[in-house]
Amino acid sequence: MFEYDTYATIAGWAVSRTINESSWIFPLVQAFHLVALGFLAGALLMVDLRLLGKGFSQQPIARVARDARPWLLGSLVAMVLTGIPQFMSLATKEYESPYFRWKMGFLLTALIFTFTVRRLVAYAPEGRFGGAVSKVVALVSIGLWTSVAINGRLIGFFS
Amino acid sequence: MIDIALGDYFAPLLNLANYVAELPTSVQLRESQYVMPWVFVLHVISMCMFAGTILMMDLRLLGVGYMQTPFSQVQRRLFPWQMVAMFISSATGLALVWGNPLNYVTNIIFWLKMFAMVLAAVNALAFHFITEYTVVDWDAGRTPPSGAKIAGWLSIILWVNVVLAGRLMPYALTWFRS
Repeated sequence: MFEYDTYATIAGWAVSRTINESSWIFPLVQAFHLVALGFLAGALLMVDLRLLGKGFSQQPIARVARDARPWLLGSLVAMVLTGIPQFMSLATKEYESPYFRWKMGFLLTALIFTFTVRRLVAYAPEGRFGGAVSKVVALVSIGLWTSVAINGRLIGFFS
Repeated sequence: MIDIALGDYFAPLLNLANYVAELPTSVQLRESQYVMPWVFVLHVISMCMFAGTILMMDLRLLGVGYMQTPFSQVQRRLFPWQMVAMFISSATGLALVWGNPLNYVTNIIFWLKMFAMVLAAVNALAFHFITEYTVVDWDAGRTPPSGAKIAGWLSIILWVNVVLAGRLMPYALTWFRS
């Protein structure tokens, strides 16, 4: 599944070639990917800041997490929808890019972490986990997602 | 009949850009293979922090997000993060322009971005000096007044345009200078 041929096949699809040959589809998709990133970062930060004891610290963590949830899920969907066309049109380049692989690795880790550990800690009854645990979870979350963004940006520079 | 070429109006700006471009710091930035990409990376990361904290506050203004937290709390608690992020964004943005001034001052999308930022600042100040005075009346309410909603929408539209313009800038070359 991760052989070069798979990437070449995807890059060869008519849709992929259309995106690649158009002078405006790719830039616009890329630009909206960044807009979605802004929303995603916001939804993540509201909870991570709260876990750090900052941000909406007068509210229970679970309340902030519930309020952030629709925006987190919505922006993740928007990220995937704007990410896939970019991958399709550049599939063979992405195959060669170490940053693309790093990004996908961090993305998978960040997703798993967000929807297991972070979710558990954020929705736990007040006082179940100590402040130290919450803070570590927040820092790991920020670290993982920042790594996704950094590697995403680097794909464009050194591929 | 106007006899002056449009370019004449921009001559001082081009002169300034040329002057900056020849400064040693500008040359060093431009020729550094690794500094520039990392300045871009920092610009994107600080954008995440800035846009993120601004957009979430806008959602609260519209009455569609974080409704369990009073607006004044959202505003007050996010403000310091917004300012820190704005500072990093501005510093890295300035470094990017400093390294390649001619690329930016001759780029129409760059000026659209700057224009949208000015409008966003005016919108924020207008909200602060007009609608925010009445915040006690709607702070924890389900539906913010139309003044708050207008400010929220304008902020989202303008900052989204800033992000879009930022990403589309390099494509101005292929789009408008064929």
